[in-house]
Amino acid sequence: MSDGEGFFLEDRVDARGVDWKLLRRLLRYVVPHRGILAGALLSLACGTVCQLSGPYLIKVVIDRHVTPGNLAGMGGWVLLYLAALAGAMGFLYLQMYAVSVLGQRVILALREEMFARMERLPVTFFDRTPTGRLMTRLTSDVEALQELLSSGLVSTVGDAAVLAGTAAILLWMDPRLALVTFAALPVLVLFVELLKKRIREANREMRRKLARLNAFLQEHVTGVSVVKAFVQEGKSERRFDALNGEYAAESVRLTNYYSLYFPGVEMFATFAVALLLWRGGLSLLHGAVTFGTLVAFLEYAQKFYNPIKDLSDKYNILQSALASSERIFQVLDSDVSPEYAPVPGPALSRPSPPSRPSPPPVLPVPAVEFRDVWFSYPRPPAEGARADAEGPPVLRGVSFSLMEGETGAIVGATGAGKTTVLSLLCRFYEIRRGQILLFGRNIREIPREELRGTLSLVLQDPFLFSGTVLENVSVGGNAVDGALSVTGVDRFASEWEAGLSTRVGERGGQLSMGQRQMVSFARALSRDPKVLLLDEATSSVDPVTEHRIQEALGAILPGRTALVVAHRLSTVLAADRIFVMHKGKIRESGTHPELLAAGGIYRRLYSLQFLEASGT
Amino acid sequence: MIREAVDAVSAGRAGGAAAGEALARAVAFMALFAALNASFRFLARRSLLVTAREVEQGVRRHLFSHVIRLPLPFFHATPTGDVMSRMTNDLTAVWLFLGPGLLTLIGTSISWVMAVAFMLRISPSLTGLSLLIAPLVVLLSREYGRAFHRQHRLVQESLAGMNAALQENVSGIRLVKAFALEAREEERFGRQCREYYRHNLAVARTSAAFHGAIGFLAGAGVALVLYLGGRAVALGELTLGGFVAFNAYLAMLAFPTMAMGWVINLFQRGNAAMGRINEFLRRPTEFEGKGVAAPGVLPLPREDATGDAGEPPLLEVRDLTFAHETGGRGEALRDVSFSLRKGEVTGLAGPTGGGKSTLFSLLLGFHPAPPGTIFWEGRDAAEIPLPELRRRVALVAQDPFLFSESILYNVCFGRDALDPAAAREAVSLARFRDEVEEMPHGFESVVGERGISLSGGQKQRATIARALCSGAPFLLLDDALSAVDAGTEREIFDGILSVRGERTVLFSTHRMASLSRCDRILVLAGGRIVEEGTHDGLLSRRGAYYDLYSRQMLARELEDSS
Repeated sequence: MSDGEGFFLEDRVDARGVDWKLLRRLLRYVVPHRGILAGALLSLACGTVCQLSGPYLIKVVIDRHVTPGNLAGMGGWVLLYLAALAGAMGFLYLQMYAVSVLGQRVILALREEMFARMERLPVTFFDRTPTGRLMTRLTSDVEALQELLSSGLVSTVGDAAVLAGTAAILLWMDPRLALVTFAALPVLVLFVELLKKRIREANREMRRKLARLNAFLQEHVTGVSVVKAFVQEGKSERRFDALNGEYAAESVRLTNYYSLYFPGVEMFATFAVALLLWRGGLSLLHGAVTFGTLVAFLEYAQKFYNPIKDLSDKYNILQSALASSERIFQVLDSDVSPEYAPVPGPALSRPSPPSRPSPPPVLPVPAVEFRDVWFSYPRPPAEGARADAEGPPVLRGVSFSLMEGETGAIVGATGAGKTTVLSLLCRFYEIRRGQILLFGRNIREIPREELRGTLSLVLQDPFLFSGTVLENVSVGGNAVDGALSVTGVDRFASEWEAGLSTRVGERGGQLSMGQRQMVSFARALSRDPKVLLLDEATSSVDPVTEHRIQEALGAILPGRTALVVAHRLSTVLAADRIFVMHKGKIRESGTHPELLAAGGIYRRLYSLQFLEASGT
Repeated sequence: MIREAVDAVSAGRAGGAAAGEALARAVAFMALFAALNASFRFLARRSLLVTAREVEQGVRRHLFSHVIRLPLPFFHATPTGDVMSRMTNDLTAVWLFLGPGLLTLIGTSISWVMAVAFMLRISPSLTGLSLLIAPLVVLLSREYGRAFHRQHRLVQESLAGMNAALQENVSGIRLVKAFALEAREEERFGRQCREYYRHNLAVARTSAAFHGAIGFLAGAGVALVLYLGGRAVALGELTLGGFVAFNAYLAMLAFPTMAMGWVINLFQRGNAAMGRINEFLRRPTEFEGKGVAAPGVLPLPREDATGDAGEPPLLEVRDLTFAHETGGRGEALRDVSFSLRKGEVTGLAGPTGGGKSTLFSLLLGFHPAPPGTIFWEGRDAAEIPLPELRRRVALVAQDPFLFSESILYNVCFGRDALDPAAAREAVSLARFRDEVEEMPHGFESVVGERGISLSGGQKQRATIARALCSGAPFLLLDDALSAVDAGTEREIFDGILSVRGERTVLFSTHRMASLSRCDRILVLAGGRIVEEGTHDGLLSRRGAYYDLYSRQMLARELEDSS
């Protein structure tokens, strides 16, 4: 599986160990919050000291006061114990809170950075990355990191500190007994190592199964109307059951390992304590150690073995966080669309006239001009090719120009490349060869905001944002009122109770297809664009509605350049120039009468349509 | 527990008399008990956690079954991200309580009871004193639980909101780019993120404070015992061993008491999550209370029925008036009446928003039609069980949805099993066969999420093939050919007409060329059937249909002939 396929593999949890480079990069996100981290570590250190002093204080109380029966001053020691405890808990609070703040801040920053990056990725990225995968990057993957940052990172440091501190204190108090305490350690390490690998594998497998389960779920929620229409609830359920069962089986396997793991570790720890008790008891009988020391030892031994228990868990968290961060960085490292790059050349801040060295053009500059444009879509990586491999050419040397104030209609069969022309003008994709000029400037030299502020696009699929009708229309710009009345949106909206404040639902699902198109049309008009781009926006609007829109266009088009991918003759007739596309080339262009008179493809198409219609 | 008992014994003996063997025996016991303890814990963990996993699996299954049976309007009103969130995050929260949470709860309860019992044996008065903190712990836990419940609900809600915002952005990315809305979207998403961040921090604060407070209370008990118990030993009221053991028991209680905080945390979260899940489960499914009374499963309509005059029409719609529940958009259909005979091909024309899609939804039972308005072969649709109703009808929707599976799977989606022969036939009728066979894997080619690897026209033809392949006697095509050119539409229509007589077809389109070839045409405008008749008959009436027609004659579709 090549790297290019990374995005298609839901949970490629890495089997390799800890990737330090990745970890270092991850830690870079912590750097801005180092104050908080330092605070967390400081409270951790103070808390650990307070915590570790507890058993020692108990030893002092027993040896100095309880055993000899001397009560004077004992209250002081007890108060000291209490103070140590209060300190430990106060620091625990600070540490826990600081760690959460740290984790959440890093996550917030990372999530916003990812989102900002995602917004600027080329359209091709979205063409080949399913929504569900992208969602996972910004949700579960980020959450896995959060777990590492808030419960893994600092507490691992804390555990290590407790381990080292305990070992040091034990060795200081009685080296021989300390060694006895550590005796169970090698066996324990062996046991942990044995299970660790299996746990890791089961964990990975479980995540993979869960990802598949969730992908299935998402798809069946989006496509629920199809499931219903074909009465396939039963079949979907059976398939879901199978995936669900696989996931459950894997999670049970993991549970079994864990069930063995925790009690096992505890058992070894208890063996260590028993050993300690035996050796210590004998020493006590010989008077080699005091009673208080033995009690303190027993307490410390517990503190020593507790962190070890969690080590495997911590390692898992680290592993899956690293796997997640690898996928996150993959998004962050994806190249942004070239249009977001700073515009080369000196034309950056000049508003409109071309400042290229060429002499000022004598002839009027066309509003839109394609000069020998070649283009092919990148081949989807699923077909086994490299991610940036080119597919077959879609445009093969397209040249045309449209003057300001003119309406151009592109006609031709499905797959002739009509939509592509509009996408290229919006700079959704980069062309392979040739030039695209907007009012005489190469679109590569026009800042993105300016480019897209000049153009206004009506997509084939009228996507609406959830929100009200009015919100959707005003996304485009300020000329809302005119846009609403021209498209007739205000007319049909006025029949609803909530009027323009009617909520359109997810993807505009509460509106009919035609209404959605009208709204998306109004949205495009509301920004009062210099160039209007229409992509078959009227294809599933009935003739009456379409006629209304055509009338509206008639009112709005003068003085505005428009390029329309047209399927209907009414649109074509309204155009000043018609471009007939065929297999990636512009074969004919001109006005309707000119093209008819020329007797080419257009003429043939026209008469064929006419004859067919009158024949029935 | 056992360890401490032994500890007390050995300590007592060791303090009193020199008895090495006793010590060795005690230690051996301790090791034995440790091994036994570990085995029991393994079994307990396993059985409890595995059961919890099974419960999780069961709930997930139940939830899925329930959700896919919820009425369609539910899905229009509920963002996908929200549905997903409940079926994933909330379910995990439930598991965390049922598994690890419950395990800890049981484990700590046993520890508590045992420890307290042993403590009572050693010194009832000390036990009473040290348990004085218990009510405080309970009180604290309850207050904490309340705060935590509230905060956690907010967290889950803001998470769902964040997911929904994200999902919407990804689906509408072209638009975002075309309108240069990146900054607006970032702001919107950022707001959701910050809200999520804020709620999470509130939880963290509460959680940290609770942990600290509980830990302190538990430790205070130890201090109390250290002081009072130490005094008792010094005064000879308590043996040293007893004192040590007592302290050890109390220390053992500290961890479970703190763990209780965690359990409460999990419980509240699980509870909040279960509440959200139950919100879905409480909604009635569209199958509930419908057709249950019908005696047995009714047979599908006979395929070879002779259309004699006495037989009721295949479909009759009588005075159907319908308004959508949401949106307050008035009546979508008003007094719609028409009937379709078996084997007829009927065209449905009319303006956008005229009620065509609503009519189709009602025929499929996506929205409940009022009783006595829709009749299938003389039977009131309101009394026909939904599965049976839908098995009669194959819908091709405006928006072609495919599953990320093979073409074969998608085409055979309406059948119980994969049937390559039937699929091939359906694909030929839908004029999609050549293209499928040219694909590298033919019928086994996977179409990608939502059919991402197919063109708009290919997706529509795939959905038509799916409808044809389902074998349903009644075909509903809801403007299903908008993305294919006129020539292809004509060919597909040829395919559909070739099954005329066997299948009854209701076909909505804006293309006159197809309408003119239908047996009959209904014109639906403003929620009413304004005209009905044959193409020629309607043209000669010079009414609404003629209007549509003449407009389109003027605006003939322009397509490449080659």
